[in-house]
Amino acid sequence: MASYQAEQLKEQGNAAFRNGEYEEANELYTQAVAKYSRNSLIYTNRANVRLKLQQWDGVVNDCSKSIEITGPNANHKAFYFLAQAQLGLHHPNEALSSALTAYEQVLHPHPAAKISPKDLEAFSTFVLKCKKAKFAARDRDRLRRQGDLRAELEGTLEAQKQRDLDEVTAQLRRGGLGNVEATELSKEIISTFDEKINSLRTTFAAADPADHKPREVPDYVIDMITFEPMHDPVITKNGHSYERATIYEHLKRSPTDPLTRDPLTINDLRPNFGLRAACEAFWDSGASEWIADW
Amino acid sequence: MAGMSGKRLQKELAKITGVLPPGITLVSAENLREWQMDLTVPDNPIYPADHVYRLKFMFSTNYPIEAPECTFIQLSTPVRKIPIHPHIYSNGIICLDLLDKQGWSPVHNVESVCISIQSMLASNTKNERPPGDAEFVRSNRSRPRDINFLYHDPSV
Repeated sequence: MASYQAEQLKEQGNAAFRNGEYEEANELYTQAVAKYSRNSLIYTNRANVRLKLQQWDGVVNDCSKSIEITGPNANHKAFYFLAQAQLGLHHPNEALSSALTAYEQVLHPHPAAKISPKDLEAFSTFVLKCKKAKFAARDRDRLRRQGDLRAELEGTLEAQKQRDLDEVTAQLRRGGLGNVEATELSKEIISTFDEKINSLRTTFAAADPADHKPREVPDYVIDMITFEPMHDPVITKNGHSYERATIYEHLKRSPTDPLTRDPLTINDLRPNFGLRAACEAFWDSGASEWIADW
Repeated sequence: MAGMSGKRLQKELAKITGVLPPGITLVSAENLREWQMDLTVPDNPIYPADHVYRLKFMFSTNYPIEAPECTFIQLSTPVRKIPIHPHIYSNGIICLDLLDKQGWSPVHNVESVCISIQSMLASNTKNERPPGDAEFVRSNRSRPRDINFLYHDPSV
């Protein structure tokens, strides 16, 4: 009985959601889980509405509850919503891992799973988005750390220079050095340390990929259909590779090879592991620093 | 997914800005969904070198999975006429296999479509409209993408 009432409230929540009344929908779903807490769909639906309300923590909780009820192997929606919330919370690593789980579950669906035809493409795009966020955050961190290290080393050099100069002044005062000698020594100290600081800066600049950047994204990581970098490339009989979700989308409309027009179906495609590794290596190379436009 | 075409069009635009084959120029793409390109035809007296033709591209959100709609348009300033060709109707609609559902492939792009149309004009020897042009222009209410052309003469 309680589960029936919960179902009624969930339906009302869905209607409110469709009308864009997100606060209302959130409230109705909350009443629904209070009646009956073992229906995973109520949690996923509430997660979806909380995404719209940008209540990221609420989304994370709801997705976890939903996954707890269904088990971790057949709940692509919960993982997809979870990934979006994690990205909203600036946890790109977790987001990527959730997005990949969702993507895998759409690609190899559990028999009971309801997959919408648009899911694969949407999830694939989101995986790419998480990937970009993850590597951008990593590279930003590295740059900041590098900047911190450089500032610290420069500070140390400056302090050392000051000590050496003070030492000269002290010797001059004690009469151990003449005026001319002291001036000469001070000059030498200053120029030596300036040189050190310059070569330190040159070294850091040389180690910074943003400073001698290859400007073009290599063609081999680019999907010829979307012009986006690939993350799950598949290869055709003719040896050309495409991002899986986009070639699937093309094959839905036209079962032909995009380049040769020979008959081609999903079953003819094979994952291209070598290229996939090359794409990973491309991301790993710090590319996010010099690709201006994602 | 709604986002595919936007990103792809931006990248295509960046790629062709400044570097296009001879006789093809980008006129406008302020609206990413509608581009205009100017075309001249080399070495064919039917299309003298000083005659410029204007192509209009319209992209759906499913581009490049779906073909763009590509037609010639007529203008008075600057003067742009619809080129005479047995596969081009006088209302600007082009009958070219790569522009329809069967012939399109998502690896095509604006540049490759322009090149195909340019070479279709360059190799033309018949200074005439398609058969039934007047009737088609009078009666057609469909958008180009909804017309199923019969390619009665694949040699042209």
